[in-house]
Amino acid sequence: MSEQQPVLVRVFLTFARNSLVREMTFRTNFFIQCVSAISWTLMNLGFYLIIFHHLNRKPLADGSGWQQNEFFVFLATTWIVFSIVQAFFMPNVQEFSELIRTGNLDFVFLKPIDTQFLISFAKVDWSALANFVMGILLLTVGVWRLTTQSNNPLSLNLANVLLYWFYVACGVTILYSLMISLAATSIWLGRNQSLYDFWFYITNFSRYPMEIYARSWGWSLWGLFTFVIPILIVINVPARILARPLRPEGPWLGLPLSGFAILATLVCLVISRRVFSLALQSYRSASS
Amino acid sequence: MNVIELKQLTKTYRVYQKKEGLLASLGGLFQREYRDVNAVRGIDLTVAKGEFVAFLGPNGAGKTTTLKLLSGVINPTSGTAQVLGYVPWERKNAYRRRFALVMGQKNQLWWDLPANESYRLHQQIYRIEPAEFTRTLDELTGLLGVRELLRQPVRELSLGERMKMELIAALLHSPEVLFLDEPTIGLDVIAQHNVRQFLKQYQLERQTTILLTSHYMKDVAALCERVVVIAHGQIEYDGSLAGILDRFSGHKIVTLAFTENQMPPDLTPFGEILEVLPPKVKLRIDRNVVAEKLASLLSQHSVEDVSVEEPPLEEVIADVFSRATRSKEA
Ligand SMILES: Nc1ncnc2c1ncn2[C@@H]1O[C@H](COP(=O)(O)OP(=O)(O)O)[C@@H](O)[C@H]1O
Ligand SMILES: [Mg+2]
Repeated sequence: MSEQQPVLVRVFLTFARNSLVREMTFRTNFFIQCVSAISWTLMNLGFYLIIFHHLNRKPLADGSGWQQNEFFVFLATTWIVFSIVQAFFMPNVQEFSELIRTGNLDFVFLKPIDTQFLISFAKVDWSALANFVMGILLLTVGVWRLTTQSNNPLSLNLANVLLYWFYVACGVTILYSLMISLAATSIWLGRNQSLYDFWFYITNFSRYPMEIYARSWGWSLWGLFTFVIPILIVINVPARILARPLRPEGPWLGLPLSGFAILATLVCLVISRRVFSLALQSYRSASS
Repeated sequence: MNVIELKQLTKTYRVYQKKEGLLASLGGLFQREYRDVNAVRGIDLTVAKGEFVAFLGPNGAGKTTTLKLLSGVINPTSGTAQVLGYVPWERKNAYRRRFALVMGQKNQLWWDLPANESYRLHQQIYRIEPAEFTRTLDELTGLLGVRELLRQPVRELSLGERMKMELIAALLHSPEVLFLDEPTIGLDVIAQHNVRQFLKQYQLERQTTILLTSHYMKDVAALCERVVVIAHGQIEYDGSLAGILDRFSGHKIVTLAFTENQMPPDLTPFGEILEVLPPKVKLRIDRNVVAEKLASLLSQHSVEDVSVEEPPLEEVIADVFSRATRSKEA
């Protein structure tokens, strides 16, 4: 018998299916989660509508070009990226910390399949995809308004759209890498309750156009969150590829940043895999 | 051919000590104190293909730790191990496809889903051929009598039923080596019996190499010819169940029935008196003088009936356990 490796895609589809079956047995809970996610999203949108009302047709940062419609694209990208992370990775990473604490990670080690894959994809939180739908809607509205506005309309081509989704995938990968590395540290720390808080603080920085940091000491934040923990790239790169806030675009945030984003994604992924397997070597189970 | 080979396998856990009081625990942030727990202390063991070996030992003896080492869940502190020619903690997929671990106190099935769904996942992960999967599943559910429970969410099953489902999950890929850690723990007598019967029959048919830990004598007596007694991380005994008596029990139990009114007033020279129910007496006599004492008893007194028995196995093993504890504390 040839040594057969599992087909990862099929395993993942079974995971996704099982999660859906599970969510459907708790249907009410599923709908409540969808509704609360969408409510939060709408409040988020309302908040920015108020801000742009105050700004009165000025962009979010002087000279940056992030006006309301451009920012709709940015905000939609935020929702899309975070909903993907929330749906596919958040439940697994949280479960991972829990498995470490209870010693139930034992079973994961027995399976003839890549351990990181098994831990990262075991569950899908389908209700989180409600915000993905919201993101697509807002994205459509934003792009449609930009392309039809009379003053300097946006012209869209297929390359932009494909690149947009490519960089959304990069953004998701960066967030995932960060998350799984953070969670893996709970093997050493025993317990890591601050994980979720830390995650929230850090990712908060990614939710705004990077131009707002381009002020005096803001540059140090910009450097930190671009080159050390490349969280600023996650939303900014895809959003500006699609919305192109400055038309024509200035030199400093275009091609170099997009190239760097690919590098950052790869480096994050490689580092997270190293951290993960290093941590697993120190796993000590729990006495039962 | 040896399927399992352990040489001087050792596992020491470093346990951080919690300090009492706020100030002390703040100090502990900077300087942690720890204690070493020697869970497994230099175990040598070889198991041949098709053997069904029991690990018998009190709580904390290191049974589970040994199985975790053999499954590659944890790394050893020192020593070597080979199972099916693999080093377990290298965690090779080729190895993981050929063994299984069942833990009585943990579960791996999806809690909110029917066991069926978890099994399908196993089928994908282990790449089990559909026809073989159906056949094995059918056979196992038949043997365990749980066919109609396959579609019920696991959380709705009783402990015994859940254990059976866990066993099936572990056996679907027809492992060549099976590690069972207290598979009957917490089950009622009937469920225990069922699981035991199943294991016995399964092993007989498949000739799977099985290592089972338990602290129920009955599991061991029903299933295993070879018993490894482990206490404080060390092997105290390795052999047949009956051999434990020869090795650790220094005496036999002799019951005498004297002729009416002929019972001697003092029997202490012959042995330790356990029970007197005239005209019957139960004595504990040193193993190496049984024949001699019995001969003189029979020649001096009028005896109607005699029986010579081994002491109960449970007692002997409890004695071995407590002796190990005492020698460790000494
Ligand atoms: N993950 C762990 N961390 C620290 N100590 C442990 C751990 N697992 C087991 N131990 C200790 O190792 C010893 C042996 O445990 P174990 O192998 O579970 O015993 P058994 O299964 O024979 O009851 C015990 O003293 C236990 O407290
Ligand atoms: Mg145990």
